[in-house]
Amino acid sequence: MIPLASIWRCFQGVIPSIIGTCDVRGMPNVTYASQIHLIDDRHVALSRQFFNKTSRNLDENPRACAEMHDPVTFQSYRLHLKFLRSEKSGALFDTMSARIEAIASHTGMSGVFRLIGADVFEVLHVEKVEGFLTGIAAEPDAGISIDGIRNEIRGLQYVSEQINRASDLDSLLDIVLEALESYFGFTHSMVLLHDDSIGRLVTIASRGYGTSGVGAEVEPGRGVIGVAANERRVVRLTGLDASLRYGRAVRRESGTVDPEIPLPGLSDAQSVLVIPLQLCDRLVGVLVVEDREPAGFGEWHESYLEVIGNQIALGIDRMSDEEIEVDAPAIAVKNEPAVQGRRRTLTYYVNDDCVFIDGDYLIRNVPGRILWKLMRAWRQEGRREFTNRELRLDPHLGLPPVKDNLESRLILLRRRLSEKCPDLRIVSTGRGRFVLEVDGAVEMLEK
Amino acid sequence: MIDERLLRCATGGGTSVLVGSAGPDAVPACCRGIAVSTDAALQRAIVYVPLATSRDVIANAASTKKLSVMITRIVEHVGLQLKGTVEAIRMASDDEASFVRQRLNEFADVLDDVGLPRRIFRGVAHWPAFALELKIEEAYDQTPGPRAGSALR
Repeated sequence: MIPLASIWRCFQGVIPSIIGTCDVRGMPNVTYASQIHLIDDRHVALSRQFFNKTSRNLDENPRACAEMHDPVTFQSYRLHLKFLRSEKSGALFDTMSARIEAIASHTGMSGVFRLIGADVFEVLHVEKVEGFLTGIAAEPDAGISIDGIRNEIRGLQYVSEQINRASDLDSLLDIVLEALESYFGFTHSMVLLHDDSIGRLVTIASRGYGTSGVGAEVEPGRGVIGVAANERRVVRLTGLDASLRYGRAVRRESGTVDPEIPLPGLSDAQSVLVIPLQLCDRLVGVLVVEDREPAGFGEWHESYLEVIGNQIALGIDRMSDEEIEVDAPAIAVKNEPAVQGRRRTLTYYVNDDCVFIDGDYLIRNVPGRILWKLMRAWRQEGRREFTNRELRLDPHLGLPPVKDNLESRLILLRRRLSEKCPDLRIVSTGRGRFVLEVDGAVEMLEK
Repeated sequence: MIDERLLRCATGGGTSVLVGSAGPDAVPACCRGIAVSTDAALQRAIVYVPLATSRDVIANAASTKKLSVMITRIVEHVGLQLKGTVEAIRMASDDEASFVRQRLNEFADVLDDVGLPRRIFRGVAHWPAFALELKIEEAYDQTPGPRAGSALR
């Protein structure tokens, strides 16, 4: 029998598979299989999303036939199957459910388009459909090989070293995303951190997008990223176009009106891999990589990025715990007069903690309050130098007493200022210290 | 009254065709079809499957006479399933070759629109083909969602 592992690309879901069943009358039924999941070399699982004819047939007659396609060569394979059981909970169910929930959430179909069961089958026989292709190369893509996996393992060592050497969170995030691109070709990636104070994921760093998207928020449970975060589970979506079309068809037929959430990042992403960054049960954030190829990510990408994700989560936690403030020597700051720059209007909206610059949204919540505090001290007291400690001691900022993520909030603020208002800068002068640099005149309004 | 969308799906081109059969031992088989020709009342159909890849489906159909065909517009996921009795199995004639080729090209165009290059799909075996003449006894809406599986007549 052809080893199932050797046709792993067929299980990516890029080209929809076919499932044939038969009822007790002997009447066949044939349809598309939403998702076929490789369990081991003798077992596969199919997603059961509706109580349909396929489900009823399997309850009457366990035999089934599936036809799958390699998305690279288009070669066809047939699997002769025997239905064993339908799992309603457990690790397999959770894994398959997370993928479907991600699609459902992204298409506004949460609760309607959901996994009812993971139907487990014994694979009796696998055959290559001889003669299916006439005259096109059916050899696997050389780029997807064991050599690639070996390179990843070497790269993992490199990335781990870089994470351990990072002096602060800012550099850690940049190093990781840069290494993911230069070593492994993940050209579109982002990190979102979980902000406990607002219960949302906030984009803190990205690479490979036209605009950084720093500050963009995702609600846990919504969209592909939100589902991965909520479920604390890796979500790998390949052949995204086909999956989303299916989800949209269900929504259209169901007549639901829940608005669709646009995917952060690439508008034409065909593959998405979302890795939760967690320490024990605590969600630190998520790492997201995207690709324009339908089969952009395989299982080994998933395994590899999970390890990287653990390293990042540990690194972020280490940066938070290690922060030693004013004892460290500070870099001297010259009290130079402000450079002449353009006139800016900074507006703080008290009710929703939002800060706007010249009428454009800049930042909100804790980073917004921090910016306003700094600007008021600059305006009223002429101060430029600040410490993390004084921010932590200010009850008006609303930082949680433990794991306050102050460093990540300052990074977010620094990057948003860099993008939206380079006349204002927060520059680190040593661990736990920074200065506020202001070029030009700033009008401050509070509403 | 059959839904206009489904009727277009059954009678028009640019559709995916899946074919299923089962042997006397109730073991199912399935393959991809190339083309279907149906009348507007969905009484009869001719289903074309490649000779190269339809061995089990044909053997079953010859034995049990039962066949199911799923026709889908893959972009919209609008689909229907036809089931019935196979009245004849024969090699598709040369007169039917242009129809089969036309349907293949129409579906290749659809696949090209969703990212599968035409050159790949056109490499799929399609000729010579079997023609299965089907008397349609059951027809179901196969569009995913709450109406999936409902009888069309």
